[in-house]
Amino acid sequence: MAETAAEKAERPGTAWRSYGAKHRSTRTLRLRTSAALVALTVLAVLVVPPLVQLDQQAVDLAAKLRPPSPEHPFGTDDVGRDLLLRCVYGLRVSLLVGVAAALTATVVGTAVGAAAGALGGWVDRAVMRVVDAFSSVPHLLLGIFIVAMFRPGVWPVVVSVALTHWLSTARIVRAEVLSLRSRPFIDAAVSGGASRWRVAVRHLLPGVLPQAALAAVLMVPHAMWHESALSFLGLGLPTHMASLGNLIQSARGSLLAGQWWPTLFPGLFIIVPTLAVAGLAGAWRERINPRRRSELML
Amino acid sequence: MTERAPVLSVRGLSVRFLMPGGRRVAAVTDAHFEVRAGECLALIGESGCGKSVLASALLGLLPGNAQTAGSALLGDLDLLTADERTLARTVRGRLAGLVPQSPAAHLTPVRTIRSQLQETVAALTPTRGRAALRSAAEAAAERAAFPVDHLDRHPHELSGGLAQRAATALALVGDAPLLLADEPTTGLDRDLVDRTVDELRRHVDAGGEGRALLMITHDLAAAERIADRVAVMYAGRIVELADAAAFFGTPGPRHPYSRGLLQALPDRAFTPIPGLPPELGALPDGCAFAPRCDRANDACAVLPPLSGTVACHHPHAALTEAADRA
Amino acid sequence: MLDLRAITAGYTRNAPVFRDVSLTVAPGEAVGLLGPSGCGKSTLARVAALLHRPESGTLVLDGEPVRRWRHRAPRAQRTAFGVVFQQPRLSADPRLRLTDLIAEPLRATGRREGSADRVAELAATVGLTADLLGRRPHEVSDGQLQRACLARALVLRPRWLVCDEMTAMLDASTTAALVRVVEDYRAATGAGLLAVGHDRTLLDRWCDRTVDWTALTGTALAAEAAR
Repeated sequence: MAETAAEKAERPGTAWRSYGAKHRSTRTLRLRTSAALVALTVLAVLVVPPLVQLDQQAVDLAAKLRPPSPEHPFGTDDVGRDLLLRCVYGLRVSLLVGVAAALTATVVGTAVGAAAGALGGWVDRAVMRVVDAFSSVPHLLLGIFIVAMFRPGVWPVVVSVALTHWLSTARIVRAEVLSLRSRPFIDAAVSGGASRWRVAVRHLLPGVLPQAALAAVLMVPHAMWHESALSFLGLGLPTHMASLGNLIQSARGSLLAGQWWPTLFPGLFIIVPTLAVAGLAGAWRERINPRRRSELML
Repeated sequence: MTERAPVLSVRGLSVRFLMPGGRRVAAVTDAHFEVRAGECLALIGESGCGKSVLASALLGLLPGNAQTAGSALLGDLDLLTADERTLARTVRGRLAGLVPQSPAAHLTPVRTIRSQLQETVAALTPTRGRAALRSAAEAAAERAAFPVDHLDRHPHELSGGLAQRAATALALVGDAPLLLADEPTTGLDRDLVDRTVDELRRHVDAGGEGRALLMITHDLAAAERIADRVAVMYAGRIVELADAAAFFGTPGPRHPYSRGLLQALPDRAFTPIPGLPPELGALPDGCAFAPRCDRANDACAVLPPLSGTVACHHPHAALTEAADRA
Repeated sequence: MLDLRAITAGYTRNAPVFRDVSLTVAPGEAVGLLGPSGCGKSTLARVAALLHRPESGTLVLDGEPVRRWRHRAPRAQRTAFGVVFQQPRLSADPRLRLTDLIAEPLRATGRREGSADRVAELAATVGLTADLLGRRPHEVSDGQLQRACLARALVLRPRWLVCDEMTAMLDASTTAALVRVVEDYRAATGAGLLAVGHDRTLLDRWCDRTVDWTALTGTALAAEAAR
């Protein structure tokens, strides 16, 4: 009796039932949508400007403030420039600023946070007080203060965004280092004769890098918003540069006159890529979550 | 064997995990067993032999890459095919109570034991009204020997033993006919292990002929203390199903693997079984234990069926053991 | 001689886990330290292995008083100990393959030459196959990972072994196998052992003598009362 059953279970015809196909599908959908949108953004930013030999600055006063039409899918602005082209160039500038600022902030934040967490003691206390002091000032205010010290340009904005955003990375990295530091595998490394430097570089840093990288990716949209806010206030990039913040800023007047397109499309260009990046980062966070890994194994 | 009705009847239960790259891991293969009313069955085996996967399958908690075959009947309900809604509404807590592996992780850290017990009572029983819930929660705590004056504490204020009792109290609220204990003694010291298993045993006995316990453990001493019958799992298969008294006493286990496990105990020979258990992703065609077995020969290239109580071509016989001792 | 005298240790300044505990392990001796979970015996083990600085008390290692702990301790003193912890998952760097895990102390102390041979030799001793050595911690079972952790503890040929609940998560057969590896190593090298655990049967079988944690702290309290 048992014998036949045993054979049956291994027969190719055994009816296997699968688990969990349902909740995976929405997750995959979100991941795919995000990935597609991010790819589209990168494509638009990298490929379109060199390929399309159109002048984004081309002024056509006869066609100013035209609503969306087949000729100008996003309409035109108050001096008749094509808004689609302006948006793509604006995204290019905003993305550049966002990525540069996020990278700077992450490098600074990781270095500071890792040092504070790994060294501990008075170094940790001093560093974290500095972080607290920085955090107690509203980001935008601090950002405005920093930008105001320089002539308008790309780099002051990058510096301003980076200097206000490394704090959160430093906190995340420090917390991660502290939690790793109390694990027995660090004890084992110490007992195995590893120096302080070796413990930091071989065991602690690789452990926090995924978290730091994730924080960096999540910071790109944040930095883009920050840049747009500064530009909108007229403090960010020089007004002739087509950043998304500048586009919205210059469209304020027409919005009151009922022309919605010069505000809406640049706004969407900020929102959609940032959501897509956040969606991708969320999926990544699930991936590096060790609990999920152990769930898949036995 | 008795003629009492089975509470849980597992027939040909198999679980496979689909791994990236198309690999299939045979976590559980063709498990057949019953847990009868008033009985405690201990499922023992090494870590990674598939016993926790079996428990997850019974509770409907397998991860997304799992496949199952066979059936596990709890009353009239097949736990393997029941949908999540049925499992949540009629099975968990009501038909099958879970005594978890780590009570600290099982309890909500921000709420007192009393509020968690009351919530469970309200969810699982028709008890309504503040005073009634309060006394029902206290009764539930008493049943698990949880001191009533500790009810207003948070989980982190409890010792490991009390947290285990709190988790047991929660599992008992629904008065489920089947209790499933998944490694309930891991990390506890010997006294606590003894107390925990004694309490579980008491609940089975107190339920008269109505309750059954399936305890999954790698702790042989705990199994010996509590079990009526023992199922030994090796490499995803149940290789021996035996009466606990005969298994731990004379004539002893019949499968060479079970015998090796017992001989590894510090109060017996304290000798390990040579070698390592096989990978569940790459099991040999024949008997999975043969490479580590001193009785193996050519016959072992064929998979031995679980005939009667043991799946082995050369089982230890009750008589040889008696003769050896004499 | 590993001599812990009147050790007081803890993690917050004014609330030590235990006070005035003394324990001696002679060279080549195996001492079992028995106590319930959470009593502080693991902290004592970490103090003994130079991994946790006590608040007061002295530790004399082979006739030499220890003044510094963790990274501040001289490397020769630190590496005189091989340490195995309770939870293999937490005691293995999740990114290292088992080979690298075992070889890590050799690399950290600059003994790269011959490390491959040493790892192969130890892998055979603890019963790990070549296939397992190439995997990362999340791809092996608890028992296999603990075997690797024991190999790592032995790789520098320590004079002292500290096993903190080494077998609490393991099944009977793996427990017996690991204890046998430790005992074979001790028989070959004459290393001393401090085995911390909560299973009296196991410690009695394994060690030359078993000390009850309550006896250690109890005598300390009695001494305090007599003062």
